[in-house]
Amino acid sequence: MRINRLVIIAGVVLAVLALPACQRRQQEQGVVHLRAWTMWGGDEAEAFQVVVDEFNRTHPHIQVHNLAAVEDTKIIRAIVANDPPEIFTLRDPGYLGSLAGNGALLCLDEFFKQSGLKEADYAPGSLSQVRYKGKLYAMIYLQDCFALLWNKDAFKEAGLDPERPPKTLSELLEYARKLTKRDANGRIVRLGMMPPDPLIIISAFGGQFIDPKTGMPTADHPRNIEALEWYQTLIEVQGGAEEVNAFQAGFGQEMGINNPFLVGKVAMMINGQWNPYWFQRYGPRVRYGAAPIPYPDQYPHQKEPTWLGGNIFCIPVNCKYPREAWEFLRWTQSIEAQVLFASTMHGVPNILAARKERSLREGEPWKRAFAVFMDVANSRNARHFPPTPITGLYQYEIYSATDFVRYGSKTPAQALRDVQRRVYREMLRWQR
Amino acid sequence: MRERQRNVQGWLFVSPWLIGFFLFTLYPILASLYYSFCDYRVLSPPKWVGLANYVALLTDRDYFLPSLWNTFFMLIELPLALIIGLTMALLLNHKIPGIGVFRTIYYLPSIMPVVAVAVLWLWVLNPQYGLLNAILTPLLAPFGLQPPGWLADPKWSKPAFIMMDLWAVGGSVVIYLASLQNVPAHLYEAAEIDGAGAWHKTVHVTLPMISPVIFYNLIMGVIWTFQYFTQTFIMTQGGPQNSTLFYALYLFYNAFRDFRMGHACAMAWILFILTLIATLVVFRTSARWVYYEGERG
Repeated sequence: MRINRLVIIAGVVLAVLALPACQRRQQEQGVVHLRAWTMWGGDEAEAFQVVVDEFNRTHPHIQVHNLAAVEDTKIIRAIVANDPPEIFTLRDPGYLGSLAGNGALLCLDEFFKQSGLKEADYAPGSLSQVRYKGKLYAMIYLQDCFALLWNKDAFKEAGLDPERPPKTLSELLEYARKLTKRDANGRIVRLGMMPPDPLIIISAFGGQFIDPKTGMPTADHPRNIEALEWYQTLIEVQGGAEEVNAFQAGFGQEMGINNPFLVGKVAMMINGQWNPYWFQRYGPRVRYGAAPIPYPDQYPHQKEPTWLGGNIFCIPVNCKYPREAWEFLRWTQSIEAQVLFASTMHGVPNILAARKERSLREGEPWKRAFAVFMDVANSRNARHFPPTPITGLYQYEIYSATDFVRYGSKTPAQALRDVQRRVYREMLRWQR
Repeated sequence: MRERQRNVQGWLFVSPWLIGFFLFTLYPILASLYYSFCDYRVLSPPKWVGLANYVALLTDRDYFLPSLWNTFFMLIELPLALIIGLTMALLLNHKIPGIGVFRTIYYLPSIMPVVAVAVLWLWVLNPQYGLLNAILTPLLAPFGLQPPGWLADPKWSKPAFIMMDLWAVGGSVVIYLASLQNVPAHLYEAAEIDGAGAWHKTVHVTLPMISPVIFYNLIMGVIWTFQYFTQTFIMTQGGPQNSTLFYALYLFYNAFRDFRMGHACAMAWILFILTLIATLVVFRTSARWVYYEGERG
């Protein structure tokens, strides 16, 4: 039995040896180590690492360690397991409401007040995107924003003025019809307008997702229905759902040389501010322009609509080093940090003053179109999805309603009423 | 004393498995049963709601019932996989030169990772540039027909998945092949003496002799179909028009997108019961068509 005993002893010794190794990191004197779990991978992870390095260099008493390419569900599992990182991003901003609503996020109002940050310094949507029931639960480090991109050569070919993008949404339909090109067999070879994200169109129509007074869903708001009716027409003028779908299925990845806009398969699209840089990198010869998203003819006060997103940074409620974690978040709001990240990640600064920064507007060719996005993001008609505990479900419901509308198996009103019925019930469940 | 010591050591040595089983298998299973009767949003403690989750699911005509129907539709794949897999196995069972090469070729697709296969088939099935429609278009053109949009078309999306899975039927072929080689040669000889041709030998000798393996593949196929997830998660995410929203995918959405873990757990238990019933049905009928050697047939 001697061998058995030896094995057991060896096992115990190994286990005892392994323990302190796990804890060694915390023992350095005076330096706080923070784990940051972020969504970015590849090139983008490198861009974020530059930011982290800069923070670590200027803040020797705090060292942030980035873990790249983290899935939201992994963060949620870590929160449930009571061992979340000190800082994390949300790939899907839709999770913010559910996390905040469940008390998983640290409320940042107190920190924000003490830090000297001023509400007036912020661009539209910067704080409202991360406020849930009036309380601040995260900070945005750069926004996403959307504009219309058009291919000038395609315009010329279709007999349109290449310097004049459509101004209104009915004009856009007209252009889309003219720009859609077919081969001898009648098959689409170029789509006039890439079918846009329905959420963006709904917001362009001045639609509404949540009643601001009651906090309850308003999926079947008349403007939302109008927006989906417009969407339906857009698909129809380009040949109907089946043809458009079949053509769209052949689109390559947007991040790369097969981007459908760059290879000329799409003449116009509503897309985000990261495109100018991608275009320069993957299709430098394509002549394109960027302009505000067209507005509905009947609602001129909806001019320059845009849709906002953002990189959301949260601190979990039971964070061991909330002060230090906040210091990182606070630092991301400085003009230097904003400009540093905006120039490599190609996001729109959420601090107004940083948007004026010359180095983001002049120099490399992509920056001229990028400047259009930065200006559009200032629009008073900039909207975003309101933080709710049911955002993920709500958005999926709208996408699937749009799908039904596209194929004509439901009318827009019908489809959105079905959405309303379901999300309303879900919201009631959350309020219990 | 010695006896006791040995017992202790025995328990110690199986303890990694025991701990693993109780902590990571039995406990989660029982917990999910409990959660299925709760309103559980993952981040806040579960609240008992009785049968509410089950009632909500079984009356949900928008997602739950369609997802169940979609999954049942995929059962069509089982007889097809059986016929194709068995035919291939019979063909690959011939002793001809280079048969090993053919066996390898037909087996290869089944060892490719599901994700890689899914991405590959996204392109094969591409309505515009896909390999499949490139072949079909000239074939259908004389009749004035257009090839289907496959994954872009709600009517064709499920058949497209079935076709893709049949391409990777090689896994079951190998199992059939192994059992085919175990059929005793003297049975064929006896059949030949009785004047049986190739067809009769297959139907009256081969099939009964390998029926336990067919049975095994069928059971595994039923379970596998109910758990159908990866392909649709990667290729269609449930679309178009929820035509590929399969049961397991909707379960996943409930759990990780909508924070309805109670719903998800209830779905898991309904899935368990359905799988159990389906398996029992197959088992029940098996007495009639599965033949075990050494048993009185």
